[in-house]
Amino acid sequence: MSALRSYRLLVTWQARRMKMFLPLGIVVQALFAFGIVAGYPLLFPTIDRTTILYLATGGPAVSLITIGLVAVPQLVSQARTEGTLDYMRTLPVPRVVYLLADMTVWLAVVVPGVIFAVLVAAIRFGLDLEISPLVVPAVLLVVLTATSVGYALASLLPPMVANMASQVLVVFILMFSPLNFPADRLPGWLATIHGFLPIQAMGELMRGTLAANTFPLTAGAFLLLGAWCAATFAATSVVLTRRS
Amino acid sequence: MLLEVRGVIKRYRRGAAPANDGVDLAIDAGQVYGLLGHNGAGKTTLVNQIVGLMKPDAGFIRISGRDVVADASFARRVCSIQPQAQVPINGLTPRQAIQTLGRLRGGTAATVRSRTDHLLEALALGEWAGMDGARLSGGVKRLVSFCMAAVTPGRLVMLDEPTNDVDPVRRRLLWAQVRALADEGSAVLLVTHNVIEAERSVDRLAILDHGRVLTEGTPSDLKAGVADGLHLELVLEPGANAPEPPSFATSYVATASRIVATVPANIGGEAATWAGNLRRAGRIEEYSLAAATLEDAYVALVGAATVEEKTDVRAA
Repeated sequence: MSALRSYRLLVTWQARRMKMFLPLGIVVQALFAFGIVAGYPLLFPTIDRTTILYLATGGPAVSLITIGLVAVPQLVSQARTEGTLDYMRTLPVPRVVYLLADMTVWLAVVVPGVIFAVLVAAIRFGLDLEISPLVVPAVLLVVLTATSVGYALASLLPPMVANMASQVLVVFILMFSPLNFPADRLPGWLATIHGFLPIQAMGELMRGTLAANTFPLTAGAFLLLGAWCAATFAATSVVLTRRS
Repeated sequence: MLLEVRGVIKRYRRGAAPANDGVDLAIDAGQVYGLLGHNGAGKTTLVNQIVGLMKPDAGFIRISGRDVVADASFARRVCSIQPQAQVPINGLTPRQAIQTLGRLRGGTAATVRSRTDHLLEALALGEWAGMDGARLSGGVKRLVSFCMAAVTPGRLVMLDEPTNDVDPVRRRLLWAQVRALADEGSAVLLVTHNVIEAERSVDRLAILDHGRVLTEGTPSDLKAGVADGLHLELVLEPGANAPEPPSFATSYVATASRIVATVPANIGGEAATWAGNLRRAGRIEEYSLAAATLEDAYVALVGAATVEEKTDVRAA
């Protein structure tokens, strides 16, 4: 049977399975992004244009990343515990197709939140964002990488540990990652670590494509994310194929 | 021979007791084959190795002559499986779930539609066909899970405890569909610990105990050992102690509330008198004496470990 047909069937299957979660997920995503864009400025008495731009572009980035690194590991761990993942593994469907179908559904969950967050930021701060067409591949790559890392976490770690790791990641992403502020504010050692982790590059892609006139966009960020995406996708495929 | 399992050994941990300890099985197309054994006997472990979720430490598994340990993707193409754990279908209706599985297994849209309608009708599931999976009862979910394995059946269909939680009327309907799968050419591997149902439904069976096949054959082959025996069952009065095993019993298993024994056929009269006296003395509520069943053969082979609430076991 063609891989395309399996993909289409699995997307429908997963979308129906998540149809309760889908509207809720979209609302939570939108609120999350809204909270960052509209709430963070309350922390500062005065706020300059660069800070505003950081928040306006960081909000969507945070919301994309948390879905991948937090919601995905939690739901995948649950699927592992209740046996759904093993059932899926008994079907005559290539693992890669299964993963791609799942990621497609996640993409549908996160994209409305991103659009909403960008709109809120533009209206709230009267921003004239210069959105580059590269935003499409950028969002795709960020979501693919984030869900792929999330999948790898959930597949490689025992379910309990994966759940805890995803909680810790929320704090790390929100407070200690250069998404809503420039990387030079971090202590040197943490900035160095972020040079290798995918989070900073995810932020750079979002900033560089949503406010293309203000922030630079480097090929390096695309390459680094591409490498993370490929490596975690491969690791997950291997784990899903492995027989105990 | 459709499925051939030879010398399969599987340990979960090095040094641990093997879950499968040299299992041999052979199943032909058109056959319903029962795999019986108590909890932890190694039945599900074997199924997981056949479908490629686990890898044997030793031995081989062939389907249609092809080595599926080496080629697990072939196993997934030719096996359809109803797992022991419930498959969550929250968000999908039974009809959607069954049709999607049928299409994923390679069925054409038209065939899958008509086959889904047929199965829903044959198992009397019509009133739930369009209901969200989250609202279904355990028994209905189990039947839907069977339909998902049967809609586009593989050459080998593996059903792991398919009748759990299913009501008695639909159990019969389910057994008819299991038979129909075999009649249409699939080999059916039926995993169960329900010995009585298996006796009526399978062509051949194997009894697995501690990872080994104790015996294998048709239900009548297996009953040969107890063929000239009778099945004596006593229900104890609440709080009464189990009576001492009588000298004529060839096997005798007592639980907190029930005694199951086998006696030679020529002692039937004596056994009935013995049990009648116990009832008159108020020690038992009732008794029954009938032809020995597969369950008697099974208990004689595997021993009392299969009987729940075990309090006292004596071999007479």
